[in-house]
Amino acid sequence: MRLRTRKLLDRSFSGLGFLSIGFMAASLLVILAPIFGRGMGAAVFQGTIEHRRLMMEKFHRGDRDMIEAELDQVRAARAPVYDMIAAFKEEPQRLSFGDRIQRRKSMREVEDLVVELLGPLPGKKRPILIRDQYGETRWDQAKVKLGRLLYIEEYDYSDRAQMGRKILVPREQKFRGTSLQPLFAYVEENMEQMFLPRTTFYWRFLFDRSLDAHFFGGIGPEVLGTLYLTIMAMIFAIPMGIIAAIYLVEYAGDSSGIQLLRTCISSLAGVPSIVFGLFGLAFFLNTLSISESKSVLAGSLTLALLVLPTVIRASEEAIRAVPHTYREAALSLGAGKWWTVVTVILPAALPGILTSIVISMGRAAGETAPIIFTAAVSVGQPLKFWETISQPTPALSWNIYNLATEHEAVDEIRHIQYGMVLTLVLLVLLLNITAIVLRARISKKLRG
Amino acid sequence: MRLLEQEDRAGIWSRTSGGRKASLLLSKSAGRHKRRASIIGHGFLLTITSLSAVAILFIFYFIFRDALPFFQLRGLTEFFSSSRWYPSGEPSEFGALAIFAGSGLVTLGAVMVSVPLGIAASICLSDVLPFHLRQMAKPVIEILAAIPSVAYGFFALVVLAPMLQEQGGQILSIVVYVVGLPLLFLGATVLGDLFSQRLAGTHRGLIRISTTALLVGLGLLALALLGRRLTGLEISSGTNALNVSLILGIMALPTVVSVSEDALQAVGRELREGSYALGATRAETMMKVVLPAASSGILAAVILGVMRAIGETMVVWMASGNAAQIPHPWYNYLEPIRTLTATIAGDMGEADHVTGSARYHVLFAMAACLLLISFFSNLASETVRRRAMRKTQGT
Repeated sequence: MRLRTRKLLDRSFSGLGFLSIGFMAASLLVILAPIFGRGMGAAVFQGTIEHRRLMMEKFHRGDRDMIEAELDQVRAARAPVYDMIAAFKEEPQRLSFGDRIQRRKSMREVEDLVVELLGPLPGKKRPILIRDQYGETRWDQAKVKLGRLLYIEEYDYSDRAQMGRKILVPREQKFRGTSLQPLFAYVEENMEQMFLPRTTFYWRFLFDRSLDAHFFGGIGPEVLGTLYLTIMAMIFAIPMGIIAAIYLVEYAGDSSGIQLLRTCISSLAGVPSIVFGLFGLAFFLNTLSISESKSVLAGSLTLALLVLPTVIRASEEAIRAVPHTYREAALSLGAGKWWTVVTVILPAALPGILTSIVISMGRAAGETAPIIFTAAVSVGQPLKFWETISQPTPALSWNIYNLATEHEAVDEIRHIQYGMVLTLVLLVLLLNITAIVLRARISKKLRG
Repeated sequence: MRLLEQEDRAGIWSRTSGGRKASLLLSKSAGRHKRRASIIGHGFLLTITSLSAVAILFIFYFIFRDALPFFQLRGLTEFFSSSRWYPSGEPSEFGALAIFAGSGLVTLGAVMVSVPLGIAASICLSDVLPFHLRQMAKPVIEILAAIPSVAYGFFALVVLAPMLQEQGGQILSIVVYVVGLPLLFLGATVLGDLFSQRLAGTHRGLIRISTTALLVGLGLLALALLGRRLTGLEISSGTNALNVSLILGIMALPTVVSVSEDALQAVGRELREGSYALGATRAETMMKVVLPAASSGILAAVILGVMRAIGETMVVWMASGNAAQIPHPWYNYLEPIRTLTATIAGDMGEADHVTGSARYHVLFAMAACLLLISFFSNLASETVRRRAMRKTQGT
């Protein structure tokens, strides 16, 4: 081969390496960008008057007089809409029977959409479900609803080779010449007056309970549940992990029994997380019955098993990294073996062990599969500490799955889903960044 | 433990203030105490350590205890050979072949994404990048590994799936062009070079250029045809095997990269320097010397990547479409599939109420299969890695 070709090959080989690292960075960016971008939208958004009313009525927040004044304004702006609907209902219609039924159906559609947009019609009984008591609380979604009010989605199947093409037909056409026709233009023009959108920073999103199955409110119980699960799992895993690591490094020899022990621990690390979940169900709940139903305790024990091998392995490395001279110095001063471990080696290895603990915490916080059968429920109240022994809890990871796939109005609560994902990712990232910083400190210290 | 330290201090104390005989040796009873305490302490540590090791035995026992009734009830043949999965039908059917195939398909896809990219990235990290850039790349890999799987699944379901469904054809064709064009030019240059090398004579340069041009032309034609076909492709569902494979591949990347980077670093400088001294370029050194020497470590990395992909639950549960069918033809990644992990996670909610039925135990049977697969993969990767270590220490 010519030298030039060889050089070309060499360069493209390096290029491939750069590209694949670039691919990793790019995919990280592509995955995190929407999560960060839209996740922030759960807390910072254009809130409408309905949001402020909800906050006042359900959480007793906000300036009551100001909100009342705003509500009066809004009612004045909305009144013509309701008048138009009422007038249309009164209007004599010279139509055939079939047309009249058709028109009544379209009318009901419009009414439903208006109710969804603005909240219940005035003078009607207050609906039971909270989701029906309020109009759109977010300006972006109000605009989506407005689009649905103004246009009818229809599909064009004229081209048989292709899938149906979506076309938008103005709803106005159906009511041409009636007293309902001006409604559409009026709503479109007076959206701002009807909603008074204002930039809202809803930081209590992280702490509020959810209202009506996550239609409104925050993710407090989920955050609390994740914290409980993580912290309790670490309470079980840390002592066991560190003791096992001390034993494996300082006391165990290299006999075949110890080899077997090591193999067992590394096999534990390879078990798929869903199998841990099934094991937790079969062992902690069905066999030991540590609680009647799913509980935080069972979930955190399962999670503790899951992170145990990670804690052991990383603490082992940290203990092993303590220079031999430390040990020799302690022994030469007359300290016993255990005394050396406790007063010299563990303090020296502590930053390394902390790193491993922090990383395992991130893992425990993010795992979903082990807690599905052992600890997680979709809706629940925030638990008191002593209830964790017997009660299941909602948790961020499980509720992300649940809201994104099984919720009845998946599209309408996207902002809450994104907010949850962002919270979980931020939690895990914070833990990992702590670990990275800790590690950098250690390596600096070791280099002197 | 406290006993032990008291003994220590007692020894020192008697030496300093006893006055009469300054002996460094402990008394007989103190020595016996000390030995006993040491044995008790040792035993305590060993017990705790074995507890964590015994966990795996417990897992095996409890999973298999609940898996066996299924095989007693329904036998082996249906489970492994039929692909009709109707656990709640009347009569119920438990053919898991399609589900095994789904797991296999997705894992294969993830390996195809993560192994080439992972090995290339690990080579770059260990041999190409300067130190400060490497320090910047490391956190990227760590964060990629740290993102919870449910967040990946959410991304796959909410962002990637609609994108694939709406612009899947265009995206695929762009990927084909981006990957294909550089490969095409490179391949044509190398082939042209190799071809002209065989011919002696004055026209070698001319022949080389014309062959290369010819190959480039042919390749461009093929690429254009393929690209046009892909552009017109309609993907009926964005939640399919391709989506999941891509995400699982990205999730397995950090594992593959870090393990194979360790393997590459373990090869040592001498082999590399020997190869450079013979005039080899970096690419030749890596391909012909370092990679073969590190092959078993890289194999271990691949096995660990496979394990990561096969055991992953949330991503496949959310974004694979969960259709228990073997795609037609089998390599059609654009169809929805269903995996073992997703079946366990998804069906347990309903099977929980019928504890003791075949519907409940079949999920444990699947978990047992997963457990066996992961256990043997883990053993294999351990063995391979140990052998690699012995090999590099030997040289």
